[in-house]
Amino acid sequence: MAEIVMECKNLWKTYGKIIAVKDVSFQIREGEIKLVFGPSGSGKSTFLRCLAMLTIPDKGDVYLRDQCLTKPSVDLNKARAKIGFVFQHIWLFRHLTALGNVELSLRRVLKMPKDEAREKAMEALRLVKMEDWAKHYPAQMSGGQQQRVGIARALARNPNIILLDEPTSALDPELTGEVIDTLRDLARMGTTMLIVSHEMPFAREVADEMIFYDEGAIVETGPPELFFTNPESERAKKFMARLIKKTKRE
Amino acid sequence: MSFLAENLPLIVDGFILTIEVTLFGIFAGLGLGTILAIGDIYGGKIVSTFIRFYVEFFRGSPIIVQLFISVYVIPAMFQTLIDPIIAGFLVFALNSAAYQKGYIKGAMQAVFEDQMQAGLSVGMSKPQTIVYVILPQALRIVIPAWSNEFCSLTKSTAALSILGIRDLTSAFQSIAIRSFRVLEAWIMCAILYLIWITIMTKIFDIVYEKKKIPGIEISV
Repeated sequence: MAEIVMECKNLWKTYGKIIAVKDVSFQIREGEIKLVFGPSGSGKSTFLRCLAMLTIPDKGDVYLRDQCLTKPSVDLNKARAKIGFVFQHIWLFRHLTALGNVELSLRRVLKMPKDEAREKAMEALRLVKMEDWAKHYPAQMSGGQQQRVGIARALARNPNIILLDEPTSALDPELTGEVIDTLRDLARMGTTMLIVSHEMPFAREVADEMIFYDEGAIVETGPPELFFTNPESERAKKFMARLIKKTKRE
Repeated sequence: MSFLAENLPLIVDGFILTIEVTLFGIFAGLGLGTILAIGDIYGGKIVSTFIRFYVEFFRGSPIIVQLFISVYVIPAMFQTLIDPIIAGFLVFALNSAAYQKGYIKGAMQAVFEDQMQAGLSVGMSKPQTIVYVILPQALRIVIPAWSNEFCSLTKSTAALSILGIRDLTSAFQSIAIRSFRVLEAWIMCAILYLIWITIMTKIFDIVYEKKKIPGIEISV
């Protein structure tokens, strides 16, 4: 079995009375693609952000390979450099071109020389088919193009894993396709990914495992087929029924 | 206009001093104002309380009172002498920093949270994100406000004349008294201020346009 890339044990995160992450344990192995789905407001984003240590969990441990990220002595910046994160609302650096967005961390975090960083950044942009837009600023691109640059930015450092928080849900429906295509390419390359998404056809195609997340906890996990045919839990059953109905309507 | 030619050295010296003090004030104020803005946002309660007192003092009292305090009160308290010119330079820098802190803080908060998250997500530290992501955007947004600050700073430097410092206003004051050409002297003085302010605001406009990036603009 492939090596475990990321793992969390008994993770908790609360905001006042709202429990976003309730005693969640999870692991993902090299090359796996796992997809988290569930009702909005159930804490999926918080869970993902805790794994990336962009939100510090209240309790529990997060591991990136052998390194425990929740130990106080850990250099979180260094750790985050090994994790790619793609945001729902994209959040490109607005003052930098596509190339500048991808290049910045290569230069400032990995301390690559200028030429090498440029080459590496262009490579990442080619991968998401945005090399012709290298010199454009975020405001000059469509949402889908921006998100592809967002993916290139996460990818360029050769991270151990890429976490994607609803990468298509802020986009116009006609623009989701190009981002999904990019994710498909990454899947083919064997990229380890944890994706929060409700793109069910895509999930069925690439996910090794689907995770139904509700009220701050993992309710049910299994291969996509399980969820499409006969999920065990009542909640997952209901949610899938709604989702499939909605997809058909579209 | 021969009285102007006769007094040319006086005018030139005064003009140069006014230019120096305004440029020093605006740039030192920018540097200090940026530090204060960062301190206010990230420094925690104690630092930001201290900064608030600082800002309120410099915004809440006339600049001429601040000048008197720096030239008469503080030296008396510490039994020393302060060169009024140095005191003048410092007061204008400190005063401008108090105003600029407000503009810069506002601009930083306007670009702030999502860009900080994005910066951290690629492995940059908070200070790195401030330097490479937040400030380049905030300083672009702040240029128009900065231009206004320069205008009012320049005009308030006329208060230096009361301390006996030879700035532009003080030069024309003595010219008006000595030559009895009150009308011409003061009109000339006003024109020179106008020229200096116009040149500099034009430069700020050009810098703003040149540094402008699609998506990071504000409507003034």
